[in-house]
Amino acid sequence: MWSKTFAGLIIGLLLSVSLVLNLNLLLPIKEDTMLLIGLLLAFPIWAGIQVWGYSFINAKKAWLKLSLVLIPSVLINAVLLSLR
Amino acid sequence: MNKDSLKALTNAHAWVGLVISTILFIIFFAGSISLFRDDINAWELNPHFAVNEQSENLSLDSVINTVAKEYSINTHGYFILSMPSAEQPLANLYFEEKLSGDEHVDQHLILAPNGKIIGNGNGSNWGDFLYELHYDLHIPEVGLYFVGIVSLFFFVALLSGVVIHWRKIISKFFQYRKEGKKDKLLDAHNLIGVMGLPFHIMYAFSGLVFNLLIIYQISYAVVLYGGDQSKLLTAAGVVDVHLDETKIVMPVQGLDNLYLTAKASLGEVSINRVSIDHFGDESASITFRGADKSQFSTRKEATYHIASGRVLYLTKDNFDNDLRGGLAVISSLHFGDFAGYLIRVLFFILGIGTCYIILTGNLMWIQKKANLRAEKQNQLGLKVVYAMTTGGFIGTIFASAIGFIFARAIPIDYIGRSDLIAYIFFGCLFTAIAVSLNIKAQKQFAAIFLKITAVALAITPVLDWLFVSQGIIAMLKVGYYHVIVVEMMLLSLALFCWLIASRLFVNRRVEVDNTIGDALNIPVQEQTLLN
Repeated sequence: MWSKTFAGLIIGLLLSVSLVLNLNLLLPIKEDTMLLIGLLLAFPIWAGIQVWGYSFINAKKAWLKLSLVLIPSVLINAVLLSLR
Repeated sequence: MNKDSLKALTNAHAWVGLVISTILFIIFFAGSISLFRDDINAWELNPHFAVNEQSENLSLDSVINTVAKEYSINTHGYFILSMPSAEQPLANLYFEEKLSGDEHVDQHLILAPNGKIIGNGNGSNWGDFLYELHYDLHIPEVGLYFVGIVSLFFFVALLSGVVIHWRKIISKFFQYRKEGKKDKLLDAHNLIGVMGLPFHIMYAFSGLVFNLLIIYQISYAVVLYGGDQSKLLTAAGVVDVHLDETKIVMPVQGLDNLYLTAKASLGEVSINRVSIDHFGDESASITFRGADKSQFSTRKEATYHIASGRVLYLTKDNFDNDLRGGLAVISSLHFGDFAGYLIRVLFFILGIGTCYIILTGNLMWIQKKANLRAEKQNQLGLKVVYAMTTGGFIGTIFASAIGFIFARAIPIDYIGRSDLIAYIFFGCLFTAIAVSLNIKAQKQFAAIFLKITAVALAITPVLDWLFVSQGIIAMLKVGYYHVIVVEMMLLSLALFCWLIASRLFVNRRVEVDNTIGDALNIPVQEQTLLN
């Protein structure tokens, strides 16, 4: 259970930052509104990813599946930041 | 969702709930009481400094003259005046008094509506103690983040609970089976959990925002603003009105005029906080802060340079920033400060209901593990969970009850009063946990301990009328009911504890104790004696 917990905790945090960053870079909304939207979305995403991590039957699968979602999101971050 | 996933999630829900249960119980119990924090602070202080007048027109210049004559105020320290209001007749002044060299001491003075100093409030912060227990457990430095992580896992437990219960969420909405012991616990857990779901989600989310915002603040600053924290803060609506110190000494005066100017500029506002930066220096500025009670969660603020009267900053709408406005809304929801006592009473009931959810969750886990075959049981784990449930949960309520008793019984001018009450609180809590670790008949112990706690909670209102009845009556005459509010809260908690002791822990006591006794390998003869 601890391994699944860390998978959700670490990848969930990274994924929440990454997804919110993508939104921030893609949507043409004023800065303070975007920060608020980011704040409203980030914590539920983090907690939701953790719940998803716990739903796998073993920790290895949890790490793998969560990472598979994180990697494309981080790649999009990199592309969007380089185009900025 | 397939069966395996659902099973994995159910196990995780139970595991997460169990791991965070004791801390979450403390957070929710202290938080529920802290909804009445201002009332508790007024309950503790006001009867000792009863006034027979109501005034919202405190002269700031007169206060400053009086305080500056008696104390050497630290220019580099804080200076905050909490204004009297329709809810609070006394003003509270907090500042740093300069001693010798770089040394300074925190001061808290109580002021009458006419601005006269009538007492020292340094030792009376029982309401603040409970509030701090709620948000950082009194753990220096890391307590805030620790509570944040617990809030995150509370959020996880909520979401996983919704997923697990999703298919029955409508069909079994009102289900409450009184007959079966396990069914009763499960139904109570689900019923309160589902009915209070929006409230629980709001608390998990807002708790996270208050305690772990720093994580996203750092992330955003690094990724979006190239590590420049000040750029992020500017975008987030944090306004820097700080003036550099000139080291030219200048008396602080003309504040009453600035107060009137601020009131006129801010429009509909109830100014509840006045703060001065660089007290006594030519660069000193004053900030008036308040809320517009006619609107939901609208904060207003005005800052003036005292010497020239120049406006340094003025906002009539949450710092004119969406993020600050959003945070103000989250804050109003969390503290229930937008609809008078009614909403706080509702939040209090839901908060105590959450404590009951945590309790039933632990009891279900204990029952499930106790019913396993001996070779599958982790006896130490079972004992620890049981001890944390009885000692930790009931111990928290008991320690709070004792704290209230001492907050009333110890003389208000006793030096080291607040520290003493804090030691008593933690002494009671840790003793309760230690005792419950060494008790075998846990159900019986829980029932007796809860009844003792109920009596302890009911003692405080008696002490109120024995010790400070004149002060209470004087405050009631001018329309301040804080003491009655706190007494009602304590008596309702006492009733709640008594009912739990009578209904949850006593029924089928022998049967359940035997189950636990079997689980802990206590011989049958010994169990009979214990029962």
